[in-house]
Amino acid sequence: MTRTGTRLAVFGVTAAALLFPLVNQNDADIDSAANALAFAALALGLNIVVGFAGLLDLGYAAFFAIGAYAYGVASSWQLQPAWNGLWEPFQWLDLVTRFHTAGGDVVHFQVSFWLMLPTAAVIAAFFGVLFGAPTLRLKGDYLAIVTLGFGEIVPIVARNTPSVTNGAMGLNGVAAPRLFGFDFGIDATPYYYVGVALVAFLIFTSQRLKDSRIGRAWMAIREDEVAAMAMGVDRVRYKLLAFAIGAAFAGATGTFYVAKLQTATPEMFMFPVSVMILVMVVFGGIGSVWGVVVGALLLQVLQSWFLEDLSGWLHALGRLVGVDWLQHVELAPSIELIFGLILVLMMLYRREGLIPAARRRRTLNLDEQTIEPACGGFAELAATDHGSRVPLLEIVDLTVRFGGLVALRSVELSVTAHSVVAVIGPNGSGKSTLFNAITGLVPTDQGAIRFAGKEIGRLRPHQVLERGIARTFQNTRLFPNLSVLENVMIGMHARLATGPVGAVLRLPATRSEEAAARERAAEILSLFGNRLLPRADHPAASLSYANRRRTEIARALAAQPELLMLDEPTAGMNPAETLELADQLRSLNRYGLTILLIEHKLDVVAMLADKVVVLDHGEKIAEGLPAAVRRDEEVIRAYLGRNAAFA
Amino acid sequence: MLSRRSLIIQLSTTALVGALATHARSAAAADKTVKIGINLPFTGADAHDAELIKDGALLAIDEANAQGGVAGYKIEVLLLDDGTATAGQYDPAQAATNARKMVADKEVVAAIGPQMSGSGKAMSPILSQGDLATVTPSSTNPDITDPKFAGQYRPKGKAIYFRTVTTDAFQGPNMANYYADVLKVKSVYVLDDSGAYGVGIADTFQAQAEKRGIKVLGRDQLNPKETDYSTTLTKIKSLNPDALYYGGVAQAGVKVVKQASDILPKMIKGGGDGLYGAEILRGAGFPAAEGWYATIAAPNILENPDAAPVIDRFAKKYGQQPENYSITAYDAALVILDAVKRVAASGKEVTRDAVRDAIQTAHVKTLQGEITFDDNGDLRNREISVFRIVKDDKYPPDDVLHQYKYLGVAPQSS
Amino acid sequence: MSDYGVLLQQVVNGLSLGAMYALLALGFTLVYGILELINFAHFNVFMVSSFVGMWALELLGISGQGHVLTGPALAGALVFAFAVTMLAGGVLGVAIERLSLRPLRGVPGTAAMITTIGVSYILFNVILLTVGAGSENYPNPLPVVRWQFGEVTLELKTLLIWGVATALMMTLHLFVNRTRLGKAMRATAQDAEAARMMGVDVDRVIVAAFFLGSALAGAAALIFGLYYNYTSFIIGYTAGLRAFTAAVLGGIGSVPGAMVGGVLIGLIETLGGQLIAVRWTDVIIFSILILVLVFVPTGLFGRAVPTKS
Repeated sequence: MTRTGTRLAVFGVTAAALLFPLVNQNDADIDSAANALAFAALALGLNIVVGFAGLLDLGYAAFFAIGAYAYGVASSWQLQPAWNGLWEPFQWLDLVTRFHTAGGDVVHFQVSFWLMLPTAAVIAAFFGVLFGAPTLRLKGDYLAIVTLGFGEIVPIVARNTPSVTNGAMGLNGVAAPRLFGFDFGIDATPYYYVGVALVAFLIFTSQRLKDSRIGRAWMAIREDEVAAMAMGVDRVRYKLLAFAIGAAFAGATGTFYVAKLQTATPEMFMFPVSVMILVMVVFGGIGSVWGVVVGALLLQVLQSWFLEDLSGWLHALGRLVGVDWLQHVELAPSIELIFGLILVLMMLYRREGLIPAARRRRTLNLDEQTIEPACGGFAELAATDHGSRVPLLEIVDLTVRFGGLVALRSVELSVTAHSVVAVIGPNGSGKSTLFNAITGLVPTDQGAIRFAGKEIGRLRPHQVLERGIARTFQNTRLFPNLSVLENVMIGMHARLATGPVGAVLRLPATRSEEAAARERAAEILSLFGNRLLPRADHPAASLSYANRRRTEIARALAAQPELLMLDEPTAGMNPAETLELADQLRSLNRYGLTILLIEHKLDVVAMLADKVVVLDHGEKIAEGLPAAVRRDEEVIRAYLGRNAAFA
Repeated sequence: MLSRRSLIIQLSTTALVGALATHARSAAAADKTVKIGINLPFTGADAHDAELIKDGALLAIDEANAQGGVAGYKIEVLLLDDGTATAGQYDPAQAATNARKMVADKEVVAAIGPQMSGSGKAMSPILSQGDLATVTPSSTNPDITDPKFAGQYRPKGKAIYFRTVTTDAFQGPNMANYYADVLKVKSVYVLDDSGAYGVGIADTFQAQAEKRGIKVLGRDQLNPKETDYSTTLTKIKSLNPDALYYGGVAQAGVKVVKQASDILPKMIKGGGDGLYGAEILRGAGFPAAEGWYATIAAPNILENPDAAPVIDRFAKKYGQQPENYSITAYDAALVILDAVKRVAASGKEVTRDAVRDAIQTAHVKTLQGEITFDDNGDLRNREISVFRIVKDDKYPPDDVLHQYKYLGVAPQSS
Repeated sequence: MSDYGVLLQQVVNGLSLGAMYALLALGFTLVYGILELINFAHFNVFMVSSFVGMWALELLGISGQGHVLTGPALAGALVFAFAVTMLAGGVLGVAIERLSLRPLRGVPGTAAMITTIGVSYILFNVILLTVGAGSENYPNPLPVVRWQFGEVTLELKTLLIWGVATALMMTLHLFVNRTRLGKAMRATAQDAEAARMMGVDVDRVIVAAFFLGSALAGAAALIFGLYYNYTSFIIGYTAGLRAFTAAVLGGIGSVPGAMVGGVLIGLIETLGGQLIAVRWTDVIIFSILILVLVFVPTGLFGRAVPTKS
C-alpha cells in the first residue's frame, strides 16, 4: 500500500472513530465501543511484550488489575485514615480532602483521574519490572508459567486484603473523572473519546518504538537472544523495558476502565481475561500494531453485537428449514469455545494473524536475480591505530570446563593489533568454545582474557561488544524474520544512543542518528557489491546461504569493532565465493581491522593469516606461520591420524 | 492475500452490516406493547441459575400475555446477557453496557435482574440516571440500596433498585440469631466462598454472632474452583466448634456439604440461600446433605396455597423444578405487571417514570405473600425463613420443595 | 483433637492429595521430557476423563453413593471403570497430539503452547455447554469404611488412592526403565535427533508419551471422582496448576521427581492450610513455583534446565 494510501486509511479510520458517537446515538453502543477500545489498549500493551520482545506473558491481567485498583483506591471512599497535619500539603495539592465523620476527621482520597492515568502507568511499570525480573533467564514456556503465577496471585491478594480493596465485594464509590468542572457521570460518550485518545496515543507510541533502536533490540531478542547479546543488546535491560512498558499500557487502561465502571472486583482480572487479550493479539497479528487493534475490536464487537445477531439469523434459518435445534441455539454462551477454536486454528493455519507484522517485500525480477555480481568499493573503517606490535587480544592460561569435560585447557593466544590470526583444528577441538569464552557466552574456569590491556573475562556478551569485539557464528545466527538492513542495524545497537523516550518523541537528534545509521548500514552492505543491497528489505531467512554469511559479517562490521571474530565464514561457499570473501577480508584488514578467524580451508588460511594457531582436544598444539604449521607433525597427526604423519 | 486496503473495505462492510442488523432488530411493529428488560448472566459459570431465573420471570410474563396482556398491553421481553467469555461469569462492564441498552430503548419500562450484586453496582447508577426501575430476584448485597451510598448508586435520588429478596443485612444476622436462640450454639466457625455474595453474608453473620455472644473460633475462605476442602474441615474439626456456617453459593457449597459429612458428621451445619436449591441436593446427595440448615431471604412459599399450581406449571413448561430464585423472579415479574396495570388503570401513559412510581407504591400479592418496598427499594418484609434438609423418601431426592423442611422464621435482629 | 493429632490427620490428607497430583504431574512430565512442551490441555483431559468414568460407572447401573458393591463385583466394576477411563484419556491425549500439535512440531517459540491453551479452552467449554455448570454426584460403588487410629481417621478410599497410585507409578517406572519403548522414550528425551538416527521411531515415542500421560490423567480422574464423590467442569483448573507445580518442583522431565513433587505439594497444601490459612494456599503454591523456577530450575531430581542454550 502506498504512503498516500496508508495516510488516507488512517485518516478515514480516525474520522470514523471521532464521528461514531454522533452518528450512532445509542448510549449502549457507545459504551460497548468504549469497552472495546479498552481491550484494544490492552492488546497493544501485550503486543509489546509478546509481539515485539517475544516474551509470552500469561498473567497480563495482573497489570490491568494494578492500574484499576490504584485508581480505585486513590479516588474512592475505601481508605479513610485518620486526619493529621501531615496530610495538609496533599490537601493543598487537591489530592485529598478532609472529611467529617462521627468518629473524627478522616482523609478522603480524590486524586484526579488525569493525574492517575500516568501515575497508574508508572506503578504498573514498577510491578512489570518486579514480575519480569525473575523471568529473565527463563525459556519461553517457563516464562509463561511464572507470569501466569503472578497473574493468579494479584487478584487473590486483591481479594484477601479487603481493607484496601473491599475484597470480593468490590469497590464502591469510585469517582468519575472531571474535566474543567464537567463531571463525566455515567454518560458513555466522554469515556468513549478518552478511550479513543488513549488508544491513539498507544498506537503512536507502539509504532514509534517499533521503528526505532528499541524496537529493533526487542525483535533481535525475540528472534535470537544469543545473537542479540553478541551484537551488543543488553537483554536484561531490554526485557525489563518491554515488561515495564507493556505493564504501563495496562495500568493506564485499568484506570480508564474502572473510572468508567466506577467499581472493581477481583473477578474482573483473572486468568480468562489474560487469555482473552492473548487471543486478541494472536488473532490480530502478533507484533503488528494495527493488527492487534483490529483483532481486539473485532472480537469485542463479535461478543457484544454479532453473536446476538448471528443467533437471530440461525433462529430464522432454523424456522426456515424446520430444524428445532437451530431455532434455540444461543451462540453467546459458546463465545469462549469460539475463542478457543480461534486460538487453535490461528496457530495451525495462520500464525501471523489477520494483519501480519512482517511486511511483504517486492521480490526481485529475473534481471536483478541473475545480475553479474560485482564487488563494491570500500569505505574507510575507522579503526584505532594501536601501533603494529601491541597485542590487542591476549589469552592467558584459559581453561573452560563443561561438567566433567575439559573443553579448553590452559590455552594461550595472542593477537597482535592489525593482524590476522587463524585458529584451526579438527572438529571438537574447542575452537568455537574459545570464541564463546572470549565473547562471554560461556563462563571460564581459569585464566585471563585481556583486550587492549583490560580484562574482559567477566564481562557479559553485550559489554564485550561494546569494548570492540564483534563476531559471527558457525551456524549463522541471523534474525530470520527481520530484513537484511534491520539485521545490520542491530549490529549498530551499541553505537547508537536513542532510548525509549527519544524513540517515541523522535527529536531531531534521534532522527539524524537514525538517518546516519541507515546510511552507514547501506554503506556496509555495499561492501558486498550488489549482492546484499538490492535485497536490503528482504527477510534474512529468504537469502541464499552465502548471502546469509555475508549479512552476518556485515552485521558484525556495523558494530565498528576493533577485533572481528569470524567462525568459519566461508563454510558452504564455492571456491569463487570463498576467494571473493577472502579478498574482502584482506582489504578490511588493510584498513586496520584485526581479524581472528576459525577456518578449515587451508588456502584461505594461507592467503590471509599472519599467524596460525592449532587446537586439538582443547589444547594448543602448534603456532606459527601458515607454511610452518602445515608441515608440523603434530598438526598432521591431529587432522589425519597417526599413519599420515609418517607418510 | 489480504492487502490492507481490502481488509479495511471488508471491515467497514462488516461493521456497516452489523450496525444495520442491530437496528433492523428493533423494527418490530406492535400496537400496544411495553418491554421488560431481563439482564442475567447467560454466559459462563452462572448460566444454569440464570436460565432458572429467566424461566421464572417468563412464566409470569407468558401467562399474562396469554390472557391478553396487561391492561391491553402486550409484554415484550428484551433479553440481555451480562456474562462474558472474558470474565467466565457475570461481567460488571457488560452489565453496565446492558443497562445503557435498556435505558436507550424507549420501549423498555422496567427491568428484571441483575442476578449478581457485582453487576448491580455497575448498573444502578445508569438506571437511576435513566429513571428505569429494575426488580432483582437475587442480588442481596445491601450496599446498593443503602442510603449511605445513595450518591453513588442512585444519583437522581429516587429508588430504582427494587428487590424481591431481602438483603444480606438481614439474612446473615437473622440466622446468627437463630443459631443463638434456637440452636443454642455457643461457638461457631465461619466459612465463605470468596465470592461477593458469600463474603458479604458471612461477614454479616459473623458480626451478629459475635454480638450475640457466640464465640467465632475462626474464619476462612474457600476457593470454589478447588475440590479438596479436607484441610479446612480437618482444621475445623480440631477446633471443635458447636456449629459451622457457610456463606456462599452451590459451586463450593456442594463440596462443603459432601466433605463435611465425612469429616464433621455430628456438627450443626448451616448456611445462607446459596445452600437452598436443587443443585445442593443433586450434587451432594443423601446422606451427605441430611441435616444442613439453609435460609432464604423471603417468607416460605409453601405456606402460600397459590404456590403449588405455579410450581406445577413451571415444572410442566420447563421440565424441571423451580429454584428459590425462580420464584422470586416470578414475583418480580408480578410486581412489574401489577405496576403497569395500575398505571394504565389510572389513565396515565405507561412510561418508565410512572412504572417506577407504581412499583414504589406496590402492594402486590405474590407467592411470597404481600410485597411492599421501602424508600430504598428493599422489601419491607424482612422475613428470613429457615429450612433444614430432611430426607423425604416419598419424593424424588432433588425435589427442593419437599426435601427442605420449613422450620420457621429466623428471629429478627433488633 | 490435639495439635499433634490434627497435624497427623492433615498429613494423611496431604498424602492422598499428593498421590493425585503425582499422577497428574507424571503426565505433564512425560510429555515435557520429550517435547519440551507445556501441555495446558492436560488438565482438561483429566476433567473430561472424570466424566467418562462417571458415565462408565452409570453404565454399570451404579449411581450416587447408594449402590455399594463388595468383593468380586466391586473389583470388576473398578477394573472396568479404570480401563474405560484410562483408555478414554489416552485416546483423547493422542488425538490432541495428532490434530493440533504434530503440525506444529519444529515451529520455534511458544506456538505449540499457545495451541494447548486453545485446546484446553475447547475441552472446557464443550463440557460446560453440554453437561452444564452443575456439580455432578459421582457414582461410587465403594463401601464407606473408616478406621480410627488414635485421633487420625483413615478411610477405605484413602487406601484405594494410595494403592492405585503407587501401583501405577511403579508400573510406569518399570515401563520406562525396563522396556524397549521406555528406553526409546528416555533416549528421545535426552536427544531426539540422535535417537532418530539410532532407529527410534520418534513419532511413535511421542504418541506413546501422550497416551501414557493422558491415561494416567484418566486414572487420576477416576480416583478423584471416587474420592470426592464429585466432579464438575471446573476440576481441571486448580488441580492442573498444582500438579504442574509438583512436576516443576520435582524436576520437570523426571518421573521420580513428579512423584515426589506431587506428594510434597499435597503436603504443602494441607499443612499450609492448617498452619496459615486456606485462603493463602494458592499464593503459597504459586510462590513456590516461581521460586523454584528462578532459583532451582532443575527442581529436585531433574536434569533438564529450562533456560535457553
